[in-house]
Amino acid sequence: MTLISSALASEAASTVVERKMDPLHHFQVHKIWDMSVFGVDISVSNSVVWMWIAVAVAFFFFYYSITGAKRIPGRMQSLAELGYLFIYDMMVGIIGKDEVPKFFPYVFTIFYFILFCNLLGLIPGSFTPTSQIIVTGTFAAIIVGISFLYGFYRNGIHYLKFFVPSGVPVLLLPLIIPIEIISFLARPVSLSVRLFANMTAGHTMLAVMFFYVVTLPIYGSWLPFGFSVVFTGVEIFIGFIQAYIFTILTCVYINDAIHLH
Amino acid sequence: MISVANAAAEVHAKPEGMPQFEPSMFEHQIFWSVISFLILLYLLNKHVMPAIKELLDVRAKKIEDDLASAQKARREAEKIQADLNNKLISSHKVASDVCEQARVEASLLRERAVEELSLELEKKKKAAVEDIEIAKKKALAEVQAVVVDVAVMATEKLIAKNVTKESASAMVDEALNEIKDSKTSLH
Repeated sequence: MTLISSALASEAASTVVERKMDPLHHFQVHKIWDMSVFGVDISVSNSVVWMWIAVAVAFFFFYYSITGAKRIPGRMQSLAELGYLFIYDMMVGIIGKDEVPKFFPYVFTIFYFILFCNLLGLIPGSFTPTSQIIVTGTFAAIIVGISFLYGFYRNGIHYLKFFVPSGVPVLLLPLIIPIEIISFLARPVSLSVRLFANMTAGHTMLAVMFFYVVTLPIYGSWLPFGFSVVFTGVEIFIGFIQAYIFTILTCVYINDAIHLH
Repeated sequence: MISVANAAAEVHAKPEGMPQFEPSMFEHQIFWSVISFLILLYLLNKHVMPAIKELLDVRAKKIEDDLASAQKARREAEKIQADLNNKLISSHKVASDVCEQARVEASLLRERAVEELSLELEKKKKAAVEDIEIAKKKALAEVQAVVVDVAVMATEKLIAKNVTKESASAMVDEALNEIKDSKTSLH
């Protein structure tokens, strides 16, 4: 008895000394395989590995759901069809039926890529690529780039009218045009920061709670433990919501490129 | 414990702040984000999206066809129902015509029967009256015969006695009166 208590005491003492709260440790990117081709860094890190896992899970989820598909769908097939129609109906609602087929693959892919990155990141010991600003920034750049290029491709030089709202007095134009340009440039920033910040905040919160669970004595640790359980559920919800917001804003930007406001 | 402490120390030896803003980790993540996105895009676009689209289209077509055939079947049923209704109405008409005709015939027959009956009754009545007349005549004749007999007898009786002329004529008058009376009483 004394032995155990003294062991516990020493354990507690060493905990106090050695364990330091580091909730951001989870976001540390480690290069597993360092390499570069033609001066481009193509190292494989934990972030990249979990991107691949997300790609694989997203693909095989759909692929196995629809193999041997029947006219009367099973559960997984229904889910896959629901996942397809969810994106399709959302795009029809925002962009309009005619333009959907052109952009559907990109929007579908970006949604499920982000969704599975978010959800897989909740597995203990995993990594969340979408908690990296550079990853979300790349996604946002892809989306805004597609909408920008398509806007020029479709409307030609008229696309620049996008920055000149109609019905604005000429006197105000020197003020309005810079504002429009800034708001356009803010799009990828807000897209990427929103997703990255949500993922980071949620995981940081969970990390803090887990730290308290292991460091607090047993009569106190149930509280952060219970909170972490509830908050994991909330994180699943946030993972969905953020992927949805990212996608719906993607649709809005594409719609702007097509219809010029 | 010591290794953990070392690891922690190592981590904290790195620059403070959010690890997401470590520029040396940007390049490969940009590269692999794009590549992963393109791979997923290719895989989904090649193997998933067309398959689901086809599934949904086929089902939509099936439902559309089913609806159309149901519509057709319904129209046919409506047509058949209309036909049946018409037939029913016409057969009703036929039935009521037949009934009407039967009623008319029946009343005709009845009238004829009544007529015949009344004719027959008339005939019978006539025959009866004739019979009565004959019987009356016969009875009268019989009465006359009886009266003649009586008169003869009375005369005989009177003749048997001594009668005067006056008494004799009185008696004859009496007898005639009696006959007349009996005649009237017979009527």
